[in-house]
Amino acid sequence: MTKRFKGNDLSEFEALICKYQDRVYNLCHYMVRDPQDAQDVFLKAYRHLKDFRPGASLYTWLYRIAVNTCLDYKRKSRREAFRSEPLSEDLPSGEGSPHQLYESRKIAESIQLALQKLPQKLRAAIVLREIEELSYEEIAEVLHTSVGTVKSRISRAREQLRHLLKKI
Amino acid sequence: MISQYVDDELSLDEKKDFDSHIESCASCREGLEETRALHRLFASAQRFPAPYGFATKVLANLEEKEGSRLRSLLSVRPFFLRAAQVTFALVVMTIGIISGNLLLAERTDPIGQTAVQETFSLDLFQATPPDSIGGIYNTLMRPSHER
Repeated sequence: MTKRFKGNDLSEFEALICKYQDRVYNLCHYMVRDPQDAQDVFLKAYRHLKDFRPGASLYTWLYRIAVNTCLDYKRKSRREAFRSEPLSEDLPSGEGSPHQLYESRKIAESIQLALQKLPQKLRAAIVLREIEELSYEEIAEVLHTSVGTVKSRISRAREQLRHLLKKI
Repeated sequence: MISQYVDDELSLDEKKDFDSHIESCASCREGLEETRALHRLFASAQRFPAPYGFATKVLANLEEKEGSRLRSLLSVRPFFLRAAQVTFALVVMTIGIISGNLLLAERTDPIGQTAVQETFSLDLFQATPPDSIGGIYNTLMRPSHER
């Protein structure tokens, strides 16, 4: 599949976007709460398709670009650190009653608030685990680190989140 | 260890050891319950799928950015082309001068060499030779004592 992308064929690239857009969009929301970053991820991915190694996993490669884009977002401080206004433009996902949807939205907002207070490396590890449900090995691949480091980061992130969410 | 237990990332032996440990450790039991509660909280949080038309927006953005990049490349290209043309012209002229000098140096007969030099000499150039119309006109216009 990736060999076909070597020629930067837009129709093939569109298929790639459609396949991974939800995961990338969701990840960006929990990492920085800025949907623009999800667009930037795919623009960067298109430019770096030539760097993709055929043996590697496409989604971990995309996740790596997504995480780095979100981390760059913070480094550059292009926009305000965190916006606390409700995300009215996003449609709720999943099924359920309006009350359940409202509850899940409130929970998401509380989690997002707490996540912004975590160090970036811990945030990336816990979002990939809890939101994207990647295994420790996959997270290590995305973050270019060892499984041992991933274990430690997730454990520390959870410990901090437990305290932060009690306060919120 | 609690995190790995919740994430099911422990080996069977480690899991057995941890199971027997939490039976006797109240603090780890509490930690485990809190971690499980956090895990459930994440599971119940809203997910944010990409909005309708996201892919189209990305592609439009991509085409626009790639197009502007191409345009900027094209605007640079004529400069390189011009530079290449000038360089080529200079190279051709240099080769011509050098090869001309070499040809002249190879001539051994002094008469032939002189003839070549005279051919290229501007001193021998006559704008109006006597046989031409201009020459006849000049002769007619000259005062009679000079003729």
